[in-house]
Amino acid sequence: MVIKHKQQTFLVTGGTGFLGSHIVASLLSRGHRVLVLAREREQTSAAGRMDRLLNWFGLSREQRRDMKILQGDLNLPGLGLKARDAETMAEEAQEIIHCASDTSFSARRREQVEKTNVLGLENLLHMVRKSPCRAFHLVSTAYVAGRQRGLCAEGIREVREFHNVYEETKFRAEKMAARHCADNGITLYVYRPSIVYGDSNTGRTTLFNALYYPIRTLHFFQKLYTRDILENQGKKAREMGVRLEKDGIMHLPVRIKSSDECGLNLIPVNYFVEAFMTLRRECPEGGVFHVVNPRSTTISLLADYTRRFFRLEGVRVVAPEEFIKQPRNGLEILFDNHIRYYSPYMQDKRIFEHSRTGAILSGQNVTCPEFSYKVFDACMHYAVQTDWGRLLLVK
Amino acid sequence: MFSEQAGRTAGQCRHYAMCKIDYLGTGLCSSGEQNHYVSHFPQGRMDIYHALCRGLIPVTAGLVEIAESCDLCGICDKQCHFVTGLRPLEVMKALKSYVRQWLKQGNQPVQPGNDPDLEKLRGIVGQKWASKDPAILLTYADDPFPLAEMRMPRYVVLPRTREEVANLVRFANDRDLPYVVRGNGGSVFGFVFSHGLVMDMNRMKGIEIDPENWTARVEPGVTSFELQKEALRHGLRANTAEPAATVCGNIVCTGLFSTWSNAYGVNADTFVDMEFIDSRGDFFRLNDPGAPNAFCFEHKLTPPPGICTLAHVRLHPTTEDEEGLMIPFDDFEEAVLFARELGRRRIGLAVGVLGGHYLSTFMSPSAELADKVRYGLSQALGIGCVVFMIGDRFARQAVRSMHELVIDSKLFKMLMLGLPRLADDEWLELVSGMDTDKPPYAMLLSREMHSLLEAVLRPSPETAALAVDEDLRDFYTRLYARPEMTDMVWLNMFRIISARMSRRKHMFAFLVYVPLDRVEVTRQICTELGRIADSHGIEHDYGFLTPLDMGKRGILEYDYYIDHQDPLEKEKIRQALKEFEPYLDNLSATTKGVKWLKYIFSQGCARKEAFLYT
Repeated sequence: MVIKHKQQTFLVTGGTGFLGSHIVASLLSRGHRVLVLAREREQTSAAGRMDRLLNWFGLSREQRRDMKILQGDLNLPGLGLKARDAETMAEEAQEIIHCASDTSFSARRREQVEKTNVLGLENLLHMVRKSPCRAFHLVSTAYVAGRQRGLCAEGIREVREFHNVYEETKFRAEKMAARHCADNGITLYVYRPSIVYGDSNTGRTTLFNALYYPIRTLHFFQKLYTRDILENQGKKAREMGVRLEKDGIMHLPVRIKSSDECGLNLIPVNYFVEAFMTLRRECPEGGVFHVVNPRSTTISLLADYTRRFFRLEGVRVVAPEEFIKQPRNGLEILFDNHIRYYSPYMQDKRIFEHSRTGAILSGQNVTCPEFSYKVFDACMHYAVQTDWGRLLLVK
Repeated sequence: MFSEQAGRTAGQCRHYAMCKIDYLGTGLCSSGEQNHYVSHFPQGRMDIYHALCRGLIPVTAGLVEIAESCDLCGICDKQCHFVTGLRPLEVMKALKSYVRQWLKQGNQPVQPGNDPDLEKLRGIVGQKWASKDPAILLTYADDPFPLAEMRMPRYVVLPRTREEVANLVRFANDRDLPYVVRGNGGSVFGFVFSHGLVMDMNRMKGIEIDPENWTARVEPGVTSFELQKEALRHGLRANTAEPAATVCGNIVCTGLFSTWSNAYGVNADTFVDMEFIDSRGDFFRLNDPGAPNAFCFEHKLTPPPGICTLAHVRLHPTTEDEEGLMIPFDDFEEAVLFARELGRRRIGLAVGVLGGHYLSTFMSPSAELADKVRYGLSQALGIGCVVFMIGDRFARQAVRSMHELVIDSKLFKMLMLGLPRLADDEWLELVSGMDTDKPPYAMLLSREMHSLLEAVLRPSPETAALAVDEDLRDFYTRLYARPEMTDMVWLNMFRIISARMSRRKHMFAFLVYVPLDRVEVTRQICTELGRIADSHGIEHDYGFLTPLDMGKRGILEYDYYIDHQDPLEKEKIRQALKEFEPYLDNLSATTKGVKWLKYIFSQGCARKEAFLYT
């Protein structure tokens, strides 16, 4: 099968999301026509939301000309599209990039996560039958590997145990897409990124979860107790053992449970987008691709970066036994709640096979940047500058 | 000449009569206190100004006197803002200014003409206490209830004694004049309007406490707030309704119920005896062997036994170690089952299941903050509802042994006084970002977190006052510095914050007795009332549920919210009525334990057993 790579028309779901918006911007800047399936939210139309995002990307009006917003809802049968939009999709969508996803790990949100990640895909695949689509791109996650140990294959294998509902539903989505594409002669691409953060050069991002949340929590503590010390004689700070040293460094006693044997697998969003575009271009036969970092980042290194950037001390990585000797204080409880559900990823002993993907990407000079202090510094500067996204007008 | 803004504010008065009780310790509107007519309270002036704007009444001698008797002290602004967020002072000023300008232009106010019947009425109650001035009559003619139309009475009278009431009944009978009785001059359910005579009981305010028998004798003008205040002075407590509602009126109309009904009961449980005047003007007491049987219940709309001139109500002992607890739940059914368990095991005095809407509205000094707090509680903290309980230390120990996580009085105070910061965006984002299996409140409200929470909230009266307009902050700071304003026991006894439910819009409340052992019945009622409201574009929400009679039954409140000045909203209710009325009628007739309060109206003296188990 030959896929025409120039001036293709793509349908992108989740176009207002983190990865989806980056892909839309990248496709538009490469001159493709893009149909974006998006929901209205909080009285902002789908077009309005997309417009704000593309402003953030700095895309010119000219570059946006080939974009059409299909206001709908993946969770609804027929994607909740108006008849004319459904027709547009049926007539034009040559490739579909499915980025929409609910990334919650929480069991109490299972119903919603299943609805988006499984039923949403089912609704989409139903519509695909009516379109000229011959290539289906599914943005999944490396963590569909679940509780496997050791080498995790770049293929869809049976997995029985998962850490959370997100992993499980993404795995089910992969299987569903594989079945549907096989039955309908559609080429399937499954992209499995690890944990994605902002742009490694500029630090820019529209999403401040995953890597950012625990650091944001520490930054929140720092601001909270600085104010307490300056305005309230530090009464609450003393209760927590927080103090401001003469050189302006804050002592913030927060212990983080981890070990240096393993760490987080982090990739920047610019690498993901580059990898996506390259794999799509270079692999007409499709396949499963681990878009991961060959080197993990230890929690100790992250703690070190955080101390350095935010001028903190007292934030340290300790062995689990430490908490038996001395139970967590309030700061540690709150912090722990932000990282607890990332613990499988913080102490990741899984090895994501990426020999094939790695070879294709490196052959095209696409390599994953190292998560250096310079990268961290750029990301945190941007995070603080935008108040962890609160000052961004992209929602 | 009319101020558009003041006119809009005037039209929004909810008739909760909260300006007629001194519930904030500000003192009362002096004109209202001296003259007693509703027209002389801020509520009446709001109605009058609104009517003037719409050309419904002329400027009368009474209207001039009403406008002039206002000294613009500003008490109404504080009182009304506390519950509704409205600022009536601008209306008081606009009314005064309009009347002065109108007189300055050489106009002469309309004088109500001579009327022999009015003279007779004055002969019964005294010269000052009977009127046919349209400005006064107007304030007894309408209310925000969307299904009732305005009805101007011919006369309004304010009797002082039971004998005067009896004479008024006889006089009305002689003239074939219809009459109705108004407890505190308010009628939020639209039942007490008449083209004839309105008796306002505001001057009959006698309270006599009998400490040996734990009872009180109250006249029909006594409000729940006033009785509770007097009972508390004797170390006792009454089971009371809304603070501005009169005790007698409430008993007769629907029977008394509140979260205290878990321990103190409802309807006939709440009184020892009642005195009435029958339709012929004769007195009788319910305990008289020959009296009409008001203790029975008939499943049909029935008239009240007569005009209540005295209620001999039960009071209850208190202990010094009473405190409140809130037990948060993310799931409504779990909360209901827990409340039922408390009822079944006789744990606690006041018990109720409050929804997020109630809780946030009760706690927040402004509507804007209430919206943010509601989001914060439900979306960020994951609190779907709370079981609220007042109990002594033994009861609280029992609750703690049943449920680990509770909001105790200290934490509640912290939350109340730090509420604007609880709803702070940065904090809520941080909390809602916790992607945990348990809702975030389970961690945030734990004891280990209190110090951090206190650092975040920086609770103080000044912080609480940040929620209101800048010019009211000093007042709110002083108000929230008073211990009772953050005391769950006091707040639940005097119920001054529950009136905030109508802050955003007028509330149309459905009250239904439900079988508590069958949670699905309650769930079904809420779902169906919600569905009906949605289909008519009406705002709606769950209100509260209180267990009764050892958890066998409960009373459920579900609320619709409408702008009572918007004809379209009124129409929506009319249309919805065609669905909710047959639904609740049918359910009341066919489902054991379900009884819509519509059927209890005027049968408030009935034994609860007569309607809960039939």
